Amino acid sequence: MEEQTAHNTRGGLQGHAYPHRTSRREDAVLETRAGGQDLWVDIKSPEGEVYESAYLSEVQVDPPLGRAARKLTLPLGTVFETDDHAGIENLTGETHGSKLHHWEAFSPRLVGVVVACLAAVWVLWRYGLDIMAAAAIAMTPAPVIEQIDRGTLQTLDFRLTKETTLDEQQQAQARQIYRRLVSELPEDVQEKHSFDLLFRSMPGLGPNAFALPGGTMVMTDQFIKDFPDDDVIAGVLGHEIGHVVEQHGLKRLYRSLSAYVLIAFLAGDVGPFLEDIVLEGNVLLSLKFSRDQETDADEFGLSLAKKAGYEPQGLKQFFEVLAKKYGDREPPRWASTHPSNDDRLKAIDQFIDELR
Amino acid sequence: MDAELPAGAKPFEFRGNAKEWFGIWIVNLLLSIVTIGIYSAWAKVRTKKYFYNNTTVVDRNFDYHATGKQILIGRIIVLVGFIIFQVVSSLNPIIALVMLLVLMAVLPWLIVRSMQFNARMSSFSNVRFGFGGSVGRAFVVFILAPIGAYILIAVVGGIGAYLLIEEQSMLGILPVVITFVGLFVMFPFIDRLVKQFSINNHRLGVSGFHMDVPLGPFLKAALLAAGWVVLSGLVFAIVFGTSIAAFFGTMQAGAEPSPAQIGVILLLYIGFFLIFLPASFIYQAVVRNVVYNNTTLEGGHGFVSNVSPWKLFWIALSNAVVVICTLFLMLPWAQVRIAKYLASHTWLLPGSSLDEFVSDQQERGAVIGDAYTDLDGFDVGLPV
Repeated sequence: MEEQTAHNTRGGLQGHAYPHRTSRREDAVLETRAGGQDLWVDIKSPEGEVYESAYLSEVQVDPPLGRAARKLTLPLGTVFETDDHAGIENLTGETHGSKLHHWEAFSPRLVGVVVACLAAVWVLWRYGLDIMAAAAIAMTPAPVIEQIDRGTLQTLDFRLTKETTLDEQQQAQARQIYRRLVSELPEDVQEKHSFDLLFRSMPGLGPNAFALPGGTMVMTDQFIKDFPDDDVIAGVLGHEIGHVVEQHGLKRLYRSLSAYVLIAFLAGDVGPFLEDIVLEGNVLLSLKFSRDQETDADEFGLSLAKKAGYEPQGLKQFFEVLAKKYGDREPPRWASTHPSNDDRLKAIDQFIDELR
Repeated sequence: MDAELPAGAKPFEFRGNAKEWFGIWIVNLLLSIVTIGIYSAWAKVRTKKYFYNNTTVVDRNFDYHATGKQILIGRIIVLVGFIIFQVVSSLNPIIALVMLLVLMAVLPWLIVRSMQFNARMSSFSNVRFGFGGSVGRAFVVFILAPIGAYILIAVVGGIGAYLLIEEQSMLGILPVVITFVGLFVMFPFIDRLVKQFSINNHRLGVSGFHMDVPLGPFLKAALLAAGWVVLSGLVFAIVFGTSIAAFFGTMQAGAEPSPAQIGVILLLYIGFFLIFLPASFIYQAVVRNVVYNNTTLEGGHGFVSNVSPWKLFWIALSNAVVVICTLFLMLPWAQVRIAKYLASHTWLLPGSSLDEFVSDQQERGAVIGDAYTDLDGFDVGLPV
């Protein structure tokens, strides 16, 4: 481009240039002149040497970002930088990203954005996690879930459990109750899960029963020994069936995974301390979720036991005995995966009344 | 610690401020949520650009050139790959094993691609960075060395345990000691391999970086960190030892913990924070200083870093408290604070004019074709 005297009235925009893809940083001026249909842009040294010229429409203008210098790239690679934000805006008018920049500015308007954000985060936490978990459950192939059960059981058998010491008759009693309960479920639900009932000796666990995500149920020997009563067995098994049918185990697993993904996505890199604190906080919050699941399972179990012809009081009996035996050793409510026995008994009473 | 700065050292500076970054951050967040995560690719670009643009030395800044679309495509590819991997692996255990081997072979390639992408998308003083590490070397650094080291240590430890328990031989103490020393040496050893791989293969334009640090300083950093763990652990044990012992006593009896014991659990958490986290800061700060002080950039340029572990620890701890108490709204402030601290303790020692870095023209042509790997977590991080 041959040199010409620019008839620029404003004296140009002051800034710096990196001529033609070099790392050479020079003082520079951006001047404009008429060029037919379009505006012609010259990047010049203060002495008047032209580094590069181009039509304005060929110049790549980076979107504004805070107070960082505005950057213009010309077709042959000359870069012009300037802190004269107003000048650039005069030159280019609204550019790609101007609206975004406007909304990002620190002004009272941001309060609205903050409120919207907090609301959105709350909605995500309240509903989004459940939706993500439900979608993930729907996408999990059945063999994977069965594999989870098998793997968990192998680990348990290896580290915690011994073979059952119950005789045939005791096992048959519980199995019969179990089958009667399961047969009360809708048929499609019956087919969906394996519903195996296993017995194991687990001295560390006391009278207890638990369900794995795929539907495998494990009952401790101590349970049958302490509670030979049909109604109690039916109540507790009903409760565990509730966990399986409502897929509580998987929901919890996927919920915590989703929460982790969400936090990673939204908060990004938060630093070493915060990461730990956020993850621990997530655990505490998930405990509340777990307690709600227990209450759901109680209600499910009570209805199921009643439908199968058992006395719903059985579950209540179980918790009454537990409360007597272990009541003084309960952890505080917020730190527990289960509601306290007192709360549970009250809720059970209320629900039994509703069932009548 | 506070050695005199060499003459001619030019300070790095972070010019961003919390107010401004807050606006950008919160708008990023809102748009990311509203678009169910899709915008987060553009948010990432804006975030990187903000921190790069505002990091300067001798009035020249860094820049980040990737577009949101590139990042989004990279993420979708990685996500789809991950889902296929999960589903196929779940079909049967043998396929799962084969897939794991495939992953081990593919991972180094992905890491190298990701490092190339990040390097090419970053620039300083209008010159793009580049990365020339080979996939074979990445396999050695990220797969072979860690697995090999673990196997070696496990075998030696196993022999020791066998001799001690089965043969009742005191000779077994030797392999057990070797195992502990081995575990201790392994981390700095592998950390050094990774840093060497990353730094020595990065370049600015056509000028290469070179890190010249023997294993010694890495070991020393690990030793300092281990010293802190032993010392603070000892103090912790003396002060709280009895109540913790009582706690574990009742735990073994198999009972549920009482409220008082929940307090002990809390105490253990706090103990963890005060024992292990400072240790990691000690290690990282000492290593950062040593690495910067012994890294050169072709053209006679050098770097200086003098961050203090305690200051870093204090910033991270107080940041965490403030951020939690403000429902994360002060997170941008915390991020700016740490960026400012790091920049203000880093210097460039220019050996020649910064006007003379030469762009690697060839690389510029290749950028578009190779732009599709953005693996989060493998950001090895360019200066500051």
